[in-house]
Amino acid sequence: MSPEISAAASSAMSRRLFLEKLSSVGGTALVLAGMSALGFGIESAMAAPPQLSGGGGKRILILGAGVAGLTAAYELSNAGYQVVVLEARTFAGGRSQSARKGFQLKELGGELQTCTFDEGLYINHGPWRLPYHHQSVLYYTKKFGVPLEVFVNDNDHSFINFTKGSGPLASKPVRKQEVAADIRGYATEMLAKCVQQGALDQQFGAGDKEMFLAYLKREGYLEGKDMKYLGTDGRGYDENPGAGVDPGPGKASTPHSLADILHSNTWRTLGSVANFEQQRTMFQPVGGMDRIPAGFVRNLGPVIRYSAKVEKISQDPGKVEVAYVDGKGQRTTVTGDYVLCTIPLSVLRNIDIAVSDRFKKAIGGASYAPVGKIGLQMKRRFWEEDHQIYGGHIYTDDPDIGSMTVPSTGFQGQKGVVLGYYNFGGNAAKVSAMTPAQRMAFAAAAGSKVMPAYGESVENAFSVGWHRVEHNLGGWAQWSDEGRRDDYPVLTEPDGRIYLAGEHLSYLGGWQAGGVESAWQQIAKIHKRVHAA
Amino acid sequence: MSGETIVSRILSVAGAVLSAALVLPAPASAAAAPGARLFADNCAACHQPEGQGIAGAFPALAANSFVQGPAEAPLTVLLNGRGGMPTFRNDLSDEQIAGVLSYVRSAWGNKAGPVEPAAVAAARGVAQSENAAAALQAH
Repeated sequence: MSPEISAAASSAMSRRLFLEKLSSVGGTALVLAGMSALGFGIESAMAAPPQLSGGGGKRILILGAGVAGLTAAYELSNAGYQVVVLEARTFAGGRSQSARKGFQLKELGGELQTCTFDEGLYINHGPWRLPYHHQSVLYYTKKFGVPLEVFVNDNDHSFINFTKGSGPLASKPVRKQEVAADIRGYATEMLAKCVQQGALDQQFGAGDKEMFLAYLKREGYLEGKDMKYLGTDGRGYDENPGAGVDPGPGKASTPHSLADILHSNTWRTLGSVANFEQQRTMFQPVGGMDRIPAGFVRNLGPVIRYSAKVEKISQDPGKVEVAYVDGKGQRTTVTGDYVLCTIPLSVLRNIDIAVSDRFKKAIGGASYAPVGKIGLQMKRRFWEEDHQIYGGHIYTDDPDIGSMTVPSTGFQGQKGVVLGYYNFGGNAAKVSAMTPAQRMAFAAAAGSKVMPAYGESVENAFSVGWHRVEHNLGGWAQWSDEGRRDDYPVLTEPDGRIYLAGEHLSYLGGWQAGGVESAWQQIAKIHKRVHAA
Repeated sequence: MSGETIVSRILSVAGAVLSAALVLPAPASAAAAPGARLFADNCAACHQPEGQGIAGAFPALAANSFVQGPAEAPLTVLLNGRGGMPTFRNDLSDEQIAGVLSYVRSAWGNKAGPVEPAAVAAARGVAQSENAAAALQAH
């Protein structure tokens, strides 16, 4: 930091002016560091839990044994607190579930589904991906020895099957690598032409024009002095290279025309770089997402009371009290010093809770996303055997389907479970109105349009509409801009002795990291209060 | 590349353009489909086939004073979503939304008058919800 800047920082200069000065000398990175130092809280997500000790036997009632509740229970227990975790289900994990043989789900208003996948097969019908930058979740997978494997979140050789465009590439499976190579080739060729003709000379400093042209040539695989796109091996071959003289060098493929790609809409799957949340390296736990809650449970004492459905949360200045109904229908009351409630707001809004009107209104401020997924057990891995697709997404523009995703595990085995749809909002509501058998038939028919063996390979299925799942009533919380501004901040602070935590109280909504980091934040607040008392 | 996310983004950003396209592939009869069919397809998963809802989760629409009151209020909920209910702004046409709400207002003993497509068009003009885009984000 320059003397000028540090002097400025220590004076009465406004924070905004300070940041503008920082920006002028150090660019964005320095601004971000400066913002963090000034307490704007833009530092990256938390990577380790708060260091707590000396809980002194205070009793914390944790409502919900999803990843947020489990995180809190684990850290608070280690810090010397007494914890009682009330979980409505017969198992821990919340939405962090995996369906495998015998797993049961009865959606509200739906029929009972029992998963009949073969031994060893499963679907992560809740969370299914762990981005590399979700260090908070990766902290626990490492600590608990939950092995990870790569989740294939992009696959060059995957299919795009878009039906709403026109022309010869519409309504048929097209390899993603072909679309990416061709449209980027044409786009860079056109830009190179403009640059070569001097149309953009004013944009460049000395020597920069040549560097920019070199970049375009590399980016688009352009050839010759006039920098034309004539195709590239990365788009695939008509006949792959091999041994001898036949196939020998193989047979190059011919690019699609620019107009055909444009009209097909397939380019809509592309972007210069993956959205931050979806970047590689992406992971999944070996054997299923529920290995993560299992890791917590292994490392926790017998503190979880299962089948405990919370009915009433009360407090007075000295204590908290939670009434719940257990699996036998018996009503029990537990008392403690504080409550950490991780129940989704969609469910909490129907629970009798002693908080201020303002807090109650804020609980109602979030909406919850209808979300649907289906796992299809395939008798044969035709996506690998027939199409050489090993993991990754099949892209469709049918919002009732979203994407289809082939497994990132069990490569070259006999069978596998394919995610047949991943839909949201009104589309999820619509598909969830079908019976489980109808959903399976619907997903099978959609997949057959992309890969002929799809439908005939489906053996059985397991599906979920999260908005119809008791104890969740939605896939994840969604905050409108107004809700974020008015209601969200209210809920991140306690109401008396009641604290909330969960993905809904993070900007990592719908991700397990949001649950973990929200729990970390709230238990640190509780701890600070206990020690201030 | 995050296909879902990108596709979703496009759907939300270019919503106006694509929503027209989204409606096109539906059978021609869909626009004229009776409200009962639209209800079964889009609403019954949560509100249940007889509009009875599920206590503590999804409100009953039968004998519900809100849906039988002035149409603007339920129309706004259909267009923008609320709580656990998604927006149907881009999924259903004015005719379809008018049809399904008219059905709900007159089925299962409900006794409120029909809603005209023009009323839906008018309600669309009112501030758009932020939630549509968020709902489409994949995780």
